[in-house]
Amino acid sequence: MGQSVQLAGNMNLAGFRILDCTEEPGYLAGKLLAELGAEVIKIEPPQGDPGRRRGPFIGDTPDPELSVPWLALNTSKLSVTLDLADSKDRATFLELIGTADAILETAGAGACVGPLAHALDEVELRKANAGIVICRLSPFGTTGPYAERRGSDLTVLALGGNLYPTGNPDRPPVRCCLPVTHFHGGIELAVATVFALWGRSTLGMAQTVDVSLQECLTIPNMTVPTQYPFTGFTGKRVGGGFRGAKAFFRELWPCKDGWISFALRGGPARNPGIQALVDYIRECGMAAPALERDWKNYNHNTISQEEVDAIQDALGAFFRTKTMDELFQVACERNLLLAPALTAREILASRQLAARGFFVDIEDPGRGLVLRYPAYFALTSLGAACIRRPAPRIGEHNELVLRSLSATRDRT
Amino acid sequence: MTGHLFENVKILEFGGGAAGPLGTRYFADHGATVVRVESRVRPDFIRLLRYTPGDPAGFDGSHMFAMVNVNKLGVALDMSHPQAREVALRLVDWCDVLAENFAPGTMAKWGLDYDSLAARKPSLVMVSTCLNGQTGPDRNYPGFGGQGSALAGFNHLTGWPDREPLGPYGTITDSLSPRFVALLVASALLYRERTGKGQYIDLSQVEAGIVCLSENILTFTTRGQVLERCGNRSRDAAPHGVFRCAPEGDDTDRWIALAVHDDEDWRTLRAVMGDPDWAKDPRFDTVEGRLAHVGELEACLERWTMTFRAQELAERLVQAGLDAAVVWNFAELLEDPQLAWRGHFREVDHPVIGRHLCETNAMRFSGVAERQFRPAPCLGEHTEYVCRELLRMSAGEYEELLAAGVFR
Repeated sequence: MGQSVQLAGNMNLAGFRILDCTEEPGYLAGKLLAELGAEVIKIEPPQGDPGRRRGPFIGDTPDPELSVPWLALNTSKLSVTLDLADSKDRATFLELIGTADAILETAGAGACVGPLAHALDEVELRKANAGIVICRLSPFGTTGPYAERRGSDLTVLALGGNLYPTGNPDRPPVRCCLPVTHFHGGIELAVATVFALWGRSTLGMAQTVDVSLQECLTIPNMTVPTQYPFTGFTGKRVGGGFRGAKAFFRELWPCKDGWISFALRGGPARNPGIQALVDYIRECGMAAPALERDWKNYNHNTISQEEVDAIQDALGAFFRTKTMDELFQVACERNLLLAPALTAREILASRQLAARGFFVDIEDPGRGLVLRYPAYFALTSLGAACIRRPAPRIGEHNELVLRSLSATRDRT
Repeated sequence: MTGHLFENVKILEFGGGAAGPLGTRYFADHGATVVRVESRVRPDFIRLLRYTPGDPAGFDGSHMFAMVNVNKLGVALDMSHPQAREVALRLVDWCDVLAENFAPGTMAKWGLDYDSLAARKPSLVMVSTCLNGQTGPDRNYPGFGGQGSALAGFNHLTGWPDREPLGPYGTITDSLSPRFVALLVASALLYRERTGKGQYIDLSQVEAGIVCLSENILTFTTRGQVLERCGNRSRDAAPHGVFRCAPEGDDTDRWIALAVHDDEDWRTLRAVMGDPDWAKDPRFDTVEGRLAHVGELEACLERWTMTFRAQELAERLVQAGLDAAVVWNFAELLEDPQLAWRGHFREVDHPVIGRHLCETNAMRFSGVAERQFRPAPCLGEHTEYVCRELLRMSAGEYEELLAAGVFR
């Protein structure tokens, strides 16, 4: 194991040192690994990671220490600045590599390898540390016909098959306004790192791992593409809805103050919820003949479009009389499969998340700020996999980390 | 090439759907023995997705189930039977990891909660994943991925400002959560290897989704701003969108995704277009100008893209060094040359469904052997094998339990 300077106590990855040379698509990986106890050191150029210059900023003046997207996904890391073109810094970097367990990097748009690989080839890297785990995340993988091709959130979604089916039938395919490819890819990069560390430990060999963002984006289609040879379904957009064997069903509905998700999907796990909703509608004085049927044996593959339309007209009229919060409270009390499409404001006000202590105010004395964050991504019997320190300032830990290097040198 | 990463790891799985089972798939695809416990009395709901009464394939005809559960073994165990718990405990004794994604309290009802099991086996790693987590007033909220996506904020952020909040296709929390499960379980195994200690993991699919969307939360807490869906546009680049291409036969749903990241990309695009008069407009020279007049820019650009077939246009743009791609439909996705190069889609032969494709994860390791993929289990297909070979039951004991109706 590497020589961590951070005390991680009784945590899964305590004692592992990981060098994080990623750009935006990989930020989440280092954050998750750090929150599992690893010491994650973000290696930045002297002027700071380019991602720090992406807005919006806290306070509207561009400031690399106050980029909201950067602060969001770089918590719990240390930051060390190194100029890899400078021979002294390069020597320090090689020394740091010698103390690390893994090194992560992403390839920016336009290349299958990132700045790390440009500065240092794998032979040099392995010379500095024969056992180090090397994990690369790139748009399409480091070999193959697309290896040299550029790729970003939008185009990777397009080639992963997750863009075509997302959206309304009368509009172009559409994406999420935050980069979901980076979320899928960032977690996958963290998984790859831990799997490789496991392999190093159990199979006794160094690992190089090649992670493809495009490949990360096929799985979210939930096996519908691999069903194509049986169904002939190419993923045509249906808007907020789904297709049963004989009818099309609505899945998103306007309510009094926003939108809710609810669908007439059947099956033993879901039918009791539909019955409970129908009972509630009746109690609210909005009973409709179309809603009175044998819901216990309801099957969305046998019902006709005419029947579906009649039921949905009655449901739609009812939903418009209620707010998102009213409907969600009833959903929780009566086990309805219904959920509001929440914005950040409502998520921050959730009673469930409050009861679990999910949001915390992180004190950031270096910036003179207190920032409210989602605190953890899982709870474990060892403790929460939670934020351990604010996102670092540029080169904040140069001295700390370099001192640990010289201490190592003195020992050996 | 040495062995498989997890060849000596044994995983026991309860639950259904995709969010839990896709998590254990990471280990199954890398050599772990994964035993899935199910029952005919209450089948996994994805076995029923296309099920209609009288279907001769019974509970084994679901394509989705077969594709999600490749490389696993299947045991039928009716947990409502009084003798079932004893069999389940022996499976717990056998395994390293217990993964479940039932509603909270289900495992406890059977006496299979972590505290009871850890008393018996302190080295057990157990992961529970459900929509809202194991504690809190709304823990029993019975949602699936569609609800998870809405509650985590993905729906609100996906789609057009003047239309409904859609969420990315495929209920995204169902595909994010398995990655978290794999990360948490693998790191718990590393910890156990060092300390001999097991642990319990409570993963709320909604919470994990919100962590991914930390920028959504931080934008509100630091700027008081509610992020809104904005189609395919970018705050930092224009044009950045999906543009219509020429119809191909009767298929009018042909699109190109194009991201022009900076002014140099814009100059390249102008050259590829043959520098038409509209593109010479100085308002479009800088990213600020293009963002300020983005509607007009997109309309002009689409008049040009519509004159090309999508594939031909993508080739031209990529050749010029731009970030562009055909928006693959599912038929095209299966033919993608890069995915083929990486061996993403694998074929297996299922006894009921026949030959079908399945997928694997996005990681390729140097120095580990490729696993030969096996079809998903039919319901209860490996009950006898697991009892006799893995649990070392005698033939008599197995027959007795079978006759008592435990393995339904």
